[in-house]
Amino acid sequence: MDFSLSNEQRSWQMLARKFADEEIRPISLERDAITSARETWTWDIIKKGSKLGFRTMAVPKKYGGQETDFVTQALVMTELAKADSAISKAFSQNWKWSHLISAACTDEQKERFLKPFVADDTFVLGKGITEPGAGSDNRMPPTDDPKPGLRLKAERHGDEWILNGEKAFIANAPVGKLFFVDARTDPTVPLKQGITMFLVPSDTPGFRIGKVFNKSGWRFYQNGEMIFENARVPHANVVGEVNGAVRKTGGAGGDTTGGDLFGDLELSANALGICDDACESALRYGKTARQGGRALFAQQQVQLKINRMYMMTEALRSFVLRVAWEHDRKIHSCNAGLAMNYSCDVVQEVTELYMDIRGADGGHMDPHTDKLVRDSFIWSHLAGDSVSRMKVTKRIID
Amino acid sequence: MYNLHLSTEQLEIRDTIRDFVAREIKPVALKAERLEICDRRLPMRVIYQASQMGLRTLALSEDRGGAGADHLTCCIVTEELAAGDADIAAVLSTTSWLGHLLFDHAMNDAQRERFLPKFVGDDRFHLAFANYEAQTGTQLGVNYHRPAPADVALETSAIKAASGEWIINGVKDYVANAPIAALFAVVVKIPGQAVPKVLLVPADAPGITIRAHEKPWPHGCGGTVTFKDCQVPVGNLLGDNAAALLACVDVPGHGTPLFQALNLGIGRAAYEAALDFARLRVQGGRPLIEHQAIGTKLAEIAIRLEVARASIWQAAWASDHPEAIADGSLPDLPLQAVAQVFTSEMMVKATKDAAEIFGALGVMRDMPLQKYIHDARVCQHSGNGNTDAKLRLAEVIAGFRRPAHAPMVRASN
Repeated sequence: MDFSLSNEQRSWQMLARKFADEEIRPISLERDAITSARETWTWDIIKKGSKLGFRTMAVPKKYGGQETDFVTQALVMTELAKADSAISKAFSQNWKWSHLISAACTDEQKERFLKPFVADDTFVLGKGITEPGAGSDNRMPPTDDPKPGLRLKAERHGDEWILNGEKAFIANAPVGKLFFVDARTDPTVPLKQGITMFLVPSDTPGFRIGKVFNKSGWRFYQNGEMIFENARVPHANVVGEVNGAVRKTGGAGGDTTGGDLFGDLELSANALGICDDACESALRYGKTARQGGRALFAQQQVQLKINRMYMMTEALRSFVLRVAWEHDRKIHSCNAGLAMNYSCDVVQEVTELYMDIRGADGGHMDPHTDKLVRDSFIWSHLAGDSVSRMKVTKRIID
Repeated sequence: MYNLHLSTEQLEIRDTIRDFVAREIKPVALKAERLEICDRRLPMRVIYQASQMGLRTLALSEDRGGAGADHLTCCIVTEELAAGDADIAAVLSTTSWLGHLLFDHAMNDAQRERFLPKFVGDDRFHLAFANYEAQTGTQLGVNYHRPAPADVALETSAIKAASGEWIINGVKDYVANAPIAALFAVVVKIPGQAVPKVLLVPADAPGITIRAHEKPWPHGCGGTVTFKDCQVPVGNLLGDNAAALLACVDVPGHGTPLFQALNLGIGRAAYEAALDFARLRVQGGRPLIEHQAIGTKLAEIAIRLEVARASIWQAAWASDHPEAIADGSLPDLPLQAVAQVFTSEMMVKATKDAAEIFGALGVMRDMPLQKYIHDARVCQHSGNGNTDAKLRLAEVIAGFRRPAHAPMVRASN
């Protein structure tokens, strides 16, 4: 057993910490406070981070990326999230889909899409799966019924596919330049056998972005509607095989490419960053805030809360790094999913304990504390809901 | 006798309020601008309508022009209102309860004569209790199970001018109802006196400045009230017991669990929304509610609501029947504090679980679920919070007695 980091891992961690301290933290609360969901995003921070490699670090060196390992990616996500969880996610969302491009796209597609992605500091990626009527049904589709699940339809006309339908809550939709889109290509069979994945550039004719969702947490991070009205996508943009999307993204049975597999690690590592922020903030507050002439930390009830916060955070760190280490060694296990489920419990309890220590002085809640708690609630529907837990349980059983 | 049968009147008023909430409050409460936590305006028209129904003067005794509702009825009404909109419930409950405490208990006849007709006659007349000061915490903190410090840490002072009037100087913050209140009960320190006193200060008194909080975190509406050589007549001083009487508004103890009932109403709103959604939304080939995972979650929420309501009603009933504590039927514990800790912790869980059932919709600001969670967190952290409530309960269990009115420690430095 050796828990030490390599020099390269350490230097990425330090670079991320510096960027987080100097560039992200100073804008975090002001971006969070912007009322209009469309205006929380700023390209400035994306460009700055991109120049340091934080947008493209999961892209192979061959295509101009940094090709960092999973441990490095986990370390960087945590450091960025410690300053702002939503901004960390805005960067790592690109890693998630560049993993998918690397694993699932043909050389010709990589040439067409990875190269411009690497070259342009404002090129961000997204993937559209969820629809207004299909959330859990996409994640855990019934195996015997063709009706449930996504309805976005793709029909082939010669060398083109015509897409019609709608996606909802799609991350990066309002800002992305390229999207993976899952569409029904065979409505007569259960979901897993009848969907095809397409690469859809944002300037595709017949494709547009609708509403931008106004979330209570992760304010910086943009989620939007994607609307397809006879959108025309060339056949050359089909990822993998027709009706073969699930095999590429793993579905319920386990991951084969890195997209889904990375996503579990991503949520855990990001949560860890929030926990680190909450722990350090709690410790600082406990030492500096005074009550009755003594530091708050002098009180047993405060010590016990801080103890629990650190205990859970360090346990999560061990789990996150173990998962990243297993990914780097291509060890297949259900640990990534379990770590993701666990991170939901930990990030919510740790931030709520911090809020407890701060208290609402008179009726005022510190905006930073409030933000951490709001951000942590995002995990409920992404990482800790019963469907995601049961999905992971299936991996244990299978 | 142990009896959970509500009276005909209680059932009638509950159903009337439920109907009012469905017709008048919900349509307003579910508009996008009411769901925006940081930028919500009070629907004053609905609050006015509620006053005309008698809800602003609900707890005021009947012979003084109110509805004379007992503690339990007030809790039932507050729960119903909060199931519609926590802000509306907070404003009305604050005025109604202060109205009862001030006019039925704290004022003398001369004071009542001056203020009661205006209070009863004007549907826009609201009340506020100005107690909190930024530098003066009432948390036990380091003084748990230790005697209170001798000096009273209040900064707001009143001195008697040569003309005979009280001159008030100081700043009170986070005063609930401040922007809409016509009359304030202000806790002050009178030099040379150990126990804090309470002065009645009209909103138009010379030397008073009221600033509404923008983007308030808590419920209702709040503000900062500044007194600069503010003058009120000598007759505005309430009796010696007033500060202790009103302290229960801020610190849960043996008082009426009104704000716990408000908290319960928030949980119920989330529960009802989740139940409707779980019946309608089909995933996995059947309505959500038919899935074990969701059914169990709804059952857990229902359990939390029912047990919380039982603890709230017990505390309310105990306030209505002090003899039940005297004869040992009920424990001599701060039952309001018991209800506060249990309800506030359980309602945070309940609102989060309800929101989770909605998936991504649960975090959207144009949907009410995220607001219910916020509202439940406000209840969890209102006043001195649950840590303080537990320490106070522990002191009672240990048999440690302290005067109710004494501010404990300075909050910072």
